[in-house]
Amino acid sequence: MKARLGAALRTQNTSLAAVIIVGTIVLAIQSQGGFLAPISIRTFFEFLAIPIIIGLAQMATLAVGQMNLAVGAIGGFASCAAAILVADAGLPGWLGGILAILIGLAAGLVNGLLVVLTQINGFVVTLATMTILAGAQYAMVGTRTIQASAWPELQAIGTAYPLGVPLIFWLALIIAIALAFAYRHTLVARQMLASGGNPLAARLSGISNNRSLVAAHGLSGLLCGVAAFIVLCSLPGSNKSIGGDWLLSSFAAPIIGGVSLVGGTVAVLGTVLAAMVVRLVDSARAAFQLDPSWVNLVIGAVVLGTVALDRVRTRRPSATRGRRRPPADAPPTAALRTVERGAGA
Amino acid sequence: MSEVYALEVRKVTKTFPGVRALDEVNLRLKPGEVHALLGENGAGKSTLIKIITGIQPPDSGELLIGGEPRSLSSAHEATKAGIGVVHQERNVIADFTVAENITLGNTPTKAGRVDWKEMRAGAQRVLDLLDFPIDPDTPTSLLSPAQTQLVEIARGLYADSAVLLLDEPTASISENESDLLFTVVHKLAAQGKAILFVSHKLEEVFAHCDTVTVFRDGKVVAESAPLADYTRDSIVDLLVGRTLAKLDVPERNPSREGAPALELRSVSSSAGHRDVSFRVHPGEILGLYGLVGAGRSELAEALLGLTRITSGEVLVNGAPVTIRSVGDALRTHGIGYVTEDRKAAGLFLDQTVEKNLTVTVLKRLSNALGVVRARSSRETADEYISSLDIKVSGRDQLVGLLSGGNQQKVSLGKWLAADTGILIIDEPTVGIDVRTKGAFYQLIWALAEAGKAVMVISSDLAETVTLVDRIAVMQDFAITGIVDNTHDYESMSKSVIRLIHDEPISSVEVQR
Repeated sequence: MKARLGAALRTQNTSLAAVIIVGTIVLAIQSQGGFLAPISIRTFFEFLAIPIIIGLAQMATLAVGQMNLAVGAIGGFASCAAAILVADAGLPGWLGGILAILIGLAAGLVNGLLVVLTQINGFVVTLATMTILAGAQYAMVGTRTIQASAWPELQAIGTAYPLGVPLIFWLALIIAIALAFAYRHTLVARQMLASGGNPLAARLSGISNNRSLVAAHGLSGLLCGVAAFIVLCSLPGSNKSIGGDWLLSSFAAPIIGGVSLVGGTVAVLGTVLAAMVVRLVDSARAAFQLDPSWVNLVIGAVVLGTVALDRVRTRRPSATRGRRRPPADAPPTAALRTVERGAGA
Repeated sequence: MSEVYALEVRKVTKTFPGVRALDEVNLRLKPGEVHALLGENGAGKSTLIKIITGIQPPDSGELLIGGEPRSLSSAHEATKAGIGVVHQERNVIADFTVAENITLGNTPTKAGRVDWKEMRAGAQRVLDLLDFPIDPDTPTSLLSPAQTQLVEIARGLYADSAVLLLDEPTASISENESDLLFTVVHKLAAQGKAILFVSHKLEEVFAHCDTVTVFRDGKVVAESAPLADYTRDSIVDLLVGRTLAKLDVPERNPSREGAPALELRSVSSSAGHRDVSFRVHPGEILGLYGLVGAGRSELAEALLGLTRITSGEVLVNGAPVTIRSVGDALRTHGIGYVTEDRKAAGLFLDQTVEKNLTVTVLKRLSNALGVVRARSSRETADEYISSLDIKVSGRDQLVGLLSGGNQQKVSLGKWLAADTGILIIDEPTVGIDVRTKGAFYQLIWALAEAGKAVMVISSDLAETVTLVDRIAVMQDFAITGIVDNTHDYESMSKSVIRLIHDEPISSVEVQR
């Protein structure tokens, strides 16, 4: 029922929007209007671009029923690798930017291929690649910070403010809109959602779940690469700590935004709005001069609350749905057993 | 009567949407007897088992255990009330030891910690009772299926169950192993346990049971009667003697000339099929009948490239083919498969009717850039919503919210959209009410009329006899015979049941 689903999404998005508006008003009053000053708005959106992109990166894997724990590690590694190639090997800055994106894509594809070829759970695979890439990032840069002055052309992107809003935020928004279109209308996205929604049914409908998994991880990696590109554009340098704190917010945005953890759904608008809410919490922390650890506490609590609420909301229909479970008296067929064993491959 | 029954079922009724699964059934189980519970698929046995074991509550009627009325709201309560169950599917934790599995649910503790000593001793006690010489510390994963079954029986004994329910215990074990099982069963009966034995194998029933209850169409047709009063033939009569609801059955006369749309020549598969041969011609409906676990759905999976065909040949339209994947079967060879389990394997319940109906044809509906043409997708969905008469509020309705019959129509519709020449329909009307069933039969006949080769896998014999042109009977992953369907239920059911029970048949023509 579209009306019902639409209503549910609308309430989710409406309440997120309401939180954003109320939060903005509270912050505006608290700062006596300072929060709405052009410079504050710039800062607000500047630090919103990356949360949106990594939230979408996580959403891409959640949509096929997987996770990408390596979101931050891929972004951090890609930005540092590109930074070194530009600063030390003398590559032009724009090429470094493109390379950051491609490194992200490659890392995502490797994740997907590992999941498919080894049949190991995506959680474990990305946990491993996260550790490997984070280690590689540290080995590459050590304690050094590679100064952004080495790639002025990318920095120019980071300091452009069309219509008073950072270009990198417009970039994130355009990517979000493109993704929303793609998830609605493209073949590969509908196949990914089918694989995530019911791998067995997808397989029996002639869809390759393996391809969906590789595509989803590839897309996720690509978006991590874009996040690395934005790092190069907007931050004063790259070092070992880039990406280190991305994991929680990458999950927070899609989960608060309404993406199902079991796969089969996406919520691009919800993810963008939720990233905005998280950013507001961060702004509030600064405005009220609270300890930074409060931000994590609040976001963690909100994530837990959202998931709990989601469980309560979906409990009733799921009782009649019995998804992915054969009736107790029907012996599972060979194909079903394979699917259950192989993490949805 | 003052006799106290170990288990008594009084006037139990259970209705599912559109189906009366049990209609005031009675059953009386005495201590010390081995009681056979017989009935065809769909006769209501499984429902009764679920009620006795606390998985489902009855709509009305009473359950008495040891003379006391009980209402069981969970499997756990049934165990506590003294009902031990050995399910058809093994139900042990393979990583646990024999002792751990035997005491599962009643793990002995001392001061809040597991009392390992008592666990082993207790397990050993019941193992001795069963004369089952095995070390309680053996990992259960090392046991054979029959030994695993004995562990489950031992669990029932450990819990001190007065009633032991054996649900087709011999379906997946060898003859030697069955003998071992029956030795134990008789020993338990001699100790005063009441045994309820569900089986499709009449030989076993006659060899080992004392009393019998027969279900047909949710009603009891023989209740707790001495088995000695019956012969094998009279039992078969009781099992199948039903008259079919009136249905407009068309006169069908499919031609079997020309190349078959699908032909199997001595196909063996890694799933365990042996020497399977048959042909389905365009316009023909072949029924594949057998008991649950006979290997019918698995054969469909082999034809879809999901399991490997190890020898023999598959021919599509007369040409030998190798099917590598479902996509290959669908797009290259034109084989569609409507799964038996629409919820688990057929549908995307959280997605719209449109997305479900178009999932098999996304490639055809999308342009060179991989963008699905929204209008074609909508039109395809609307076409099948109207031609199958799917009751929806619109193509954007979520499939999970539809009724079973309409879900099944969506599940079938996506394959009609795919327009394959060969259509394998697995259990077309499971969980669907009688009226919708008729609509499905009409639809399947229409498909055959339109020249499609249809294979219908069904565990419902009445349905098979109504629907198909020829019946292939499968048992233990092999075809035991193919008979022309005369649509006469009496005679067809007898010959089919004989084929399942592996008796030589003389009166019917067998083609292999």
